[in-house]
Amino acid sequence: MFCPYSTCSPLIFDIFGLVEEEQSTKPDRQKTELFEREFMPHLEALYNFAFKLTFNEDDAKDLLQDTSMKAYRFIHSFAQGTNAKAWLFRIMKNSFINDYRKKSKAPGMVDYQEVEAYYDSGKGTSPRDITVDLRAETVRDKLGDEVTLALNSLTVDFRTVIILCDLEGFKYDEMAKILDIPIGTVRSRLHRARNMLKAKLAAYAAQMGYK
Amino acid sequence: MRWLGRTFGDKTKRCPEEEHCLELVRLMLDDESTQEDNDYVLKHIDGCYQCYDNYDVERAIREVVQKKGKNVKLPVEVVTEIRQKIEVAK
Repeated sequence: MFCPYSTCSPLIFDIFGLVEEEQSTKPDRQKTELFEREFMPHLEALYNFAFKLTFNEDDAKDLLQDTSMKAYRFIHSFAQGTNAKAWLFRIMKNSFINDYRKKSKAPGMVDYQEVEAYYDSGKGTSPRDITVDLRAETVRDKLGDEVTLALNSLTVDFRTVIILCDLEGFKYDEMAKILDIPIGTVRSRLHRARNMLKAKLAAYAAQMGYK
Repeated sequence: MRWLGRTFGDKTKRCPEEEHCLELVRLMLDDESTQEDNDYVLKHIDGCYQCYDNYDVERAIREVVQKKGKNVKLPVEVVTEIRQKIEVAK
């Protein structure tokens, strides 16, 4: 069987419980029932993920539909009892990289390695530079759109790990499979993403006049 | 008072273990740490103002991101369209 996601290795494919077999002979009724039961409950989370990747309602809808159709088409590769949500997030992430990001040429996109090197060099904002008290309820209550702005201002690689971990509650090993990176990279990327997010939130709070 | 009963040292001094402790704090809050890591962090922040401060800020950020970061409702028509496309694909 060929892999529908060009960036995914056969090993990772197997880890996700994808069964090596040709197109299933499962009746359509069974496929639809499986889709409804396993995949439909995750559509809202998937749409949120799509929106945070594309920043655009129409693109998010397209990405969700594309992901859903791929999931249906390759439903025979999904092993029941494995993590359906992670499987779907992986399809969406790969669809975004392979199709949408290339199409849009992602304005302002920065190479992850470059950003990482920048922060390693010590030039990036360190958590130590932060003086605003983000714990204060008054600050947190006022931070609304700014949270979204801060999150959206991160490059897609950093943004994605925060979304997967903090908003969707994936474990590091699940994130490693979704993103197709080693678990150590998940850990270090998340650490840097959190530093950046913290600095941005503190900057917004400071702009709002909080010290 | 948050600090009541805690025995912190000099609040102006930088903790030499701050960066390492912050990494472990994040692992702990992500529920990805070992029991050994947790024991270390809890013991350390009990006596270190700076690292407790980091721990508290980290918790606050997670709270605000979780509360305000998930805010897009799935349009009902999208679900209908997906079901229709599946019908066609059968």
